[in-house]
Amino acid sequence: MKSITITKRRSWLPALAVLGLALGAISSCSKFLEVAPQGQPLTTQFFQNQNDASYAVASCYAKMREYNTVAFNWFSVAVYPGDDVDKGSTPGDGDYLNDYIYFRFTATSGDHERIWTAEYQQINLCNQVIQNVPGISMDATLRARYVGEAQFLRALAYFNLVRAFGGVPLHTKPAETAEELNLARATREEVYALLISDLTTAAANLPAAYGTADIGRATKGAALTLLAKVQLYQKNYAASLAASNQVLTLGYSLVPNFYEMFRIRGENGPESVFEVQCTTLPGNCDASNSYWALSQAPRPQFGWGFCTPTADLENAFEPGDQRKAGTIMYRGTTTPEGDSISLQNSNERYNMKAYVPNSVTKACLYGADQNIRILRYAETLLLNAEAANELGQTAKALDGINQIRVRAGLAPLPGGLSQEALRQAIWKERRVELALEYGDRFFDLVRQGRAATVLRSRGFVAGKNEVFPIPLSQIQLSGGKLTQNPGY
Amino acid sequence: MKVLHFAGLTRTPARLVKGLGLAVGLGAAWPAHAASWSIRQAPAQAGTPITGRVVDEKGEPLPGANVVVKNTNVGAATNLEGQYSINAPAGATLVFSFVGYPAQEITLNGRTSIDVKFAAPQSQSLNDVVVVGYGTQSKREVTGAIASVKGAELVNQASQNPVSSLQGKVAGVQITNSGAPGAAPEIRVRGVGALAGVSPLYVVDGTLLPQGTDLSFLNQDDIASLEVLKDAASASIYGIQAANGVVLVTTKRGTAGATRISYNGFGGVQTITNRVKLANAQQYAQLLNEKFALTGIDPSNNLPLDLPSTDWLKEITRTGSTQNHQLSLSGGTDRASYSFSGSYLQQKGILQNADYERITARLQTDFAVTDRIKVGYSASFANLNSHDSPGLPSGVFGNYGIGDLANVGTGVIPNLGLLSPNVFAQAYVAPPVLQPFLPSGRYGDPAFVGAGLGSFANPRATLDYFVQRSQGQTLVSNAFAALNFAKYFNLRTSVGISYGSSRFYNYQKADSLTSVQVYRGNTLTKGTSQNSQVQWENVLTYDRSFGTDHHLTALVGTTALRFHSEQQVGSINGVQAGGADSYYFNLGTVGTASLANNPGDLFTIFSLFARVNYAYKERYLLTASFRRDGSSKYIQANRFGNFPSVGLGWVVSEEPFMKGSSVFDFLKVRGSFGLLGNNNVPNNVSTSRVTYAPYSTGFFGNPSTPVTGANIDTQVPPSATRWEKAQEYDAGLEMRFFQNRLSAEFDFYNRRTLDALFPVPVLSSPGYVNSVGYLDNNATFQNQGVEAALRWTSASTGDFSYSLGFTGAYNQNKLLSTLSGSPLFAGILPLGGYRTTISRVGAPVGAFFGYQTAGIFQTTQEIADSPQSATAKPGDLRFVDTNGDGLLDARDYVVLGNPNPRFTYGLNMNFRYKLIDLQVDIQGVGGVEIFNAQRLVRVGNESYTEDFYNNRWTGPGTSNTTPSADLAGRNLDPSSYYVEKGDYIRLRNVQLGFNFPKSVTSSLHAQTLRLYANAQNPLTLTKYKGFTPEVGGTPTFAGVDLNVYPLTAIYNLGINIGF
Repeated sequence: MKSITITKRRSWLPALAVLGLALGAISSCSKFLEVAPQGQPLTTQFFQNQNDASYAVASCYAKMREYNTVAFNWFSVAVYPGDDVDKGSTPGDGDYLNDYIYFRFTATSGDHERIWTAEYQQINLCNQVIQNVPGISMDATLRARYVGEAQFLRALAYFNLVRAFGGVPLHTKPAETAEELNLARATREEVYALLISDLTTAAANLPAAYGTADIGRATKGAALTLLAKVQLYQKNYAASLAASNQVLTLGYSLVPNFYEMFRIRGENGPESVFEVQCTTLPGNCDASNSYWALSQAPRPQFGWGFCTPTADLENAFEPGDQRKAGTIMYRGTTTPEGDSISLQNSNERYNMKAYVPNSVTKACLYGADQNIRILRYAETLLLNAEAANELGQTAKALDGINQIRVRAGLAPLPGGLSQEALRQAIWKERRVELALEYGDRFFDLVRQGRAATVLRSRGFVAGKNEVFPIPLSQIQLSGGKLTQNPGY
Repeated sequence: MKVLHFAGLTRTPARLVKGLGLAVGLGAAWPAHAASWSIRQAPAQAGTPITGRVVDEKGEPLPGANVVVKNTNVGAATNLEGQYSINAPAGATLVFSFVGYPAQEITLNGRTSIDVKFAAPQSQSLNDVVVVGYGTQSKREVTGAIASVKGAELVNQASQNPVSSLQGKVAGVQITNSGAPGAAPEIRVRGVGALAGVSPLYVVDGTLLPQGTDLSFLNQDDIASLEVLKDAASASIYGIQAANGVVLVTTKRGTAGATRISYNGFGGVQTITNRVKLANAQQYAQLLNEKFALTGIDPSNNLPLDLPSTDWLKEITRTGSTQNHQLSLSGGTDRASYSFSGSYLQQKGILQNADYERITARLQTDFAVTDRIKVGYSASFANLNSHDSPGLPSGVFGNYGIGDLANVGTGVIPNLGLLSPNVFAQAYVAPPVLQPFLPSGRYGDPAFVGAGLGSFANPRATLDYFVQRSQGQTLVSNAFAALNFAKYFNLRTSVGISYGSSRFYNYQKADSLTSVQVYRGNTLTKGTSQNSQVQWENVLTYDRSFGTDHHLTALVGTTALRFHSEQQVGSINGVQAGGADSYYFNLGTVGTASLANNPGDLFTIFSLFARVNYAYKERYLLTASFRRDGSSKYIQANRFGNFPSVGLGWVVSEEPFMKGSSVFDFLKVRGSFGLLGNNNVPNNVSTSRVTYAPYSTGFFGNPSTPVTGANIDTQVPPSATRWEKAQEYDAGLEMRFFQNRLSAEFDFYNRRTLDALFPVPVLSSPGYVNSVGYLDNNATFQNQGVEAALRWTSASTGDFSYSLGFTGAYNQNKLLSTLSGSPLFAGILPLGGYRTTISRVGAPVGAFFGYQTAGIFQTTQEIADSPQSATAKPGDLRFVDTNGDGLLDARDYVVLGNPNPRFTYGLNMNFRYKLIDLQVDIQGVGGVEIFNAQRLVRVGNESYTEDFYNNRWTGPGTSNTTPSADLAGRNLDPSSYYVEKGDYIRLRNVQLGFNFPKSVTSSLHAQTLRLYANAQNPLTLTKYKGFTPEVGGTPTFAGVDLNVYPLTAIYNLGINIGF
């Protein structure tokens, strides 16, 4: 039998030691609980140097090729409502897209809500640059250029919004306060005023051309061409003409072979004014993320086969127009690159401008290397011609349009056309020259006041369908601050 | 001879053991012999020496059982042989007790030798000790809602995961199982309690597991008991980690005595049940031709009706198999004990090429260093291997990096478009007219089966070319040292470590399988993932009785915890195929490598906690606890939260006026209130951060060169977020009747989640990418319900005995309010971006949302008279214009169903006749709907079912429930057509066992030998038309059946041997 006696002193000692440790832990716990976000710097650590500025500007460009910005959401407001395309693909595939062809969309439809969101995301990224880069201590010329690039990209996004929706909330800086987070709609004129101001400043600060390392960034010519376009939408013909006139002196030229211009080897050529740069980065498919070509390529051979050219577009080309072969691809034919387009594909016609030869890498997506042409010198000439004609400068107008016709293998238009006849000729030339590129046809028809006539068979309602409804969810979230467009 | 002296302590030894367990057990069952060292020894008392032996129901000696002279402080404990010696007056009464057994009182009546045999411990016995946070407690003194399931009730089920075996056994705990090898079940305690991190906290032998970790590393044979702390008061000792309930896992610990060796093993097969009959080639061709006719496609495209038919599900599945073997050893001396086990599990899933393998090893030791100091250790280690399946979460790598896996796992399938890489999804939509192989030996080409069929892949090719293996290790361990001092105090310090590491490789061989399955690059992708959670806890316990009427246990403690996880995924092209030995990045093409490192996850928690248990005359019970937690996840000002709880109990049957009651053997009413926090939210929710992302890469120059993109594209809440809190009231009633043979327990609870972190929808125009909303303290929602647990046990005498158990629960889930009043939409389907669920005030979280249908349009006149005139044709679904504005759009959407089951129930029956035992478990859910999205995920092509074929609309008057074969256009909008009843009742587990008689076992030198046959899920009754009514999902996107793993049944034969 064993008896154990425990003295109080001894028994408390270890307890005190552990309690001491615990108390020590408590006193240092505020430090223990200080944990910084992992792999994500705080925003207060950003916009500190030239690198940060470069990164932020790169993001603005990257947004341009994202699915939400340039694929179906964009097609829904800019491509499908026109008369150049049918839905494409198989009959049941993406059936909801027919709502945009036949003007059946409502305030709750999804795609135009998503383009609204995507364009504003683009605007926010640009606002971040425009707001924060001027305060960075860095090379002043580069700083001004970066801001100019962001102003150009912001203008492009607002231009798309104002064309699709009319006056929209005008965010010109990153929103912070509750008030700034929920702006009411500005008027259409206020949006255009911002566009003109942004593009004028950008044109002043952007270079006419870049060295080989920076090709693809926004140039003076891009800002001025967009300015000319914006002024034309506003019917400020003199200002439009002045802007495009400046571009004529910047050294652009028409590429002789129309088809070649839309191949990867033709990217950023002498006619290119602004293209969204898309590249396959081997091993980084998240960066090689343009679906623009994939969504339109022959189905099922290469892609998804949407936005197929209509017979109406096919018939719009004059006989002998070389652009037709560069615009419309037919199944059962063989491309100059040697790809035979299978008769088993689901549609008769496809967008040739989105064609990427089978031999090009598909390491990430089909067509991820195909740049998206936003502005070409041919359009500059067309804008110039249209403004000149509206101002009665017929000879100047004829000169521009005939450069384009001759390149297409067509006879130049004769002199002596009436202003109206020449106007119609320029509009027709716009359609066939720019068909199936970025998406101007519907907006042109509205701008030209012809939408109700041309699109009547598709269900266009005058006084309503000139713009899309403001997404209902946005109106609700704004607490009624956003107002709906008429008729929706 | 050991004589124990219980100074100032007159309570039963059972209580004393309980107290010590509470003091030092820390979530682990305290080995019974512990009493022999932890009780101070003192000089012998007066009286006659009494000796004897204490054995269990099998006649095995019980070391460490307690013997106390009633109403004195005199006590003793049995030695290894179960023998004791104690001095007692001739007329005294001895009280014998041992944890888990009913105490026995024996009056000496002059005898000097008393042998005692304990009756078999009864599960659910009132004398059962249940594990509570930081201690144990007698079931009869518990004031909260704690359900306890003993390991014996879980073993021999074919589940690979112990949680799966809980299905139907605990009232108010809903478990959703998947048949995929290695897949973790979803578990919800009393409904959906939060929107982020909805799984309960798992605590294994005191070690807290990180959120999202499940118990797949643990062989269920290693489990001694599982306790589910359901109400907030019980769980609140775990503070901010406990918002969704707590599951305490106690693994088996060694006990003193001879070494016990046991082997448990089973093996069997796994098959698909409730197989959905898809249309065969003839039916498919018929339907497609009808569709062509309806959509104006030239009849020259029609398919012949005599094409050979492929059953795609059959083509990719097989009869699976499972085997599991476990060997365990345990034993010890009066100073040290140990328990060791090793197991091997192999599961070949029903999907071809998919398998899962687990090796576990566990070691536990307890060592009494001195009479006052004890140290112990337990560690569970698991090694996991799997062959993964296309587009499905890896059984080992899990959902970590599933986005990356989705990208790399199937390589480049350029034309699949919106079709899922999930091979089941592919099989569900692949037409039966497609052949797996052409006569030429090439894969049947989906593109050229027929015109206009749309997008689908050849699942055979997908499966054959999928090479992905995962491997992982998990270690969960806990080491402690405990000190008894100053009579009533116990101080314990412990370190718990949970560590997990996993990796996978995926290889995509470049090949052109079909025109839509063109793989390029010979791409090797590898990923690794690590997570670790380390905790340090200190607990000081005070346990003392005052006189005969008062008993007090109090504890204070601290916890410090740090969690870190990180993941890397890299890939390279140009690795030549050559098996696992060649899957290294150095064999790839220079310049094609990419590396992604997900932002790591790091957080810390520091907590102080205290609890008091007080009982007066074993009649009036009080439990009160308080925890103060600090978490790094919140900004400094909101970092700390206080979480109190209180529970009261009244054992009415102990009242003098009830003593003579012939009705109640036991009657207790109890009530509790507790407050919990939720730490299972994303880190740094209110900190504005910079996003560096690959998709923000800019490309400039000739040649095109990438430029890093970074930006501020995320909106954070304008106000700093604070704790999400759950407050819960629980009222319970516990009763026993008929000599304790019938027990009944009822609970009513009301849990409100306040300041719930719930996305606040924001306007798109500020341009942030999280335009669905940022997380803020935005919502209040409620789970309210009742639970019942009933058990009837037969008298244990005779050849035949049985027990019947029933658990049932009703839960109502409801969103009470949101700050902005705005609903949250979720559940975006892959087609058309339709949102199928809504969480809005007054409705359950994640309710289905869409058009109400009103039959099928029969004639063009009906359409002309409806708001659908622009879009519909006869045979289409007719939608209700609920707001009567003449337009059909999302403004007409209504709530269509509830993905959260209102009823869950289980029936557990055990029968024993002589040497034969039979166990039957039935389980089910009711009052639930499923959104059968499986039926609408079609991209041009149609995966019709036979049911659709039989019921479709083919002309006026033919059907008013099922549309025509042209199931396209508006028919695919979310509508009540897709919402089905999800109720089911299932034979969950049937087991028939045969115990060999002593004559056989003794010839084998074994104690026990049992053979059994087991069937899991052999029968499920449901009206649901999909592959399984167990659908699951995240709270705001649950119950949407999208490419689920089919329901499976498992049939096993098994053996248990004990030496």
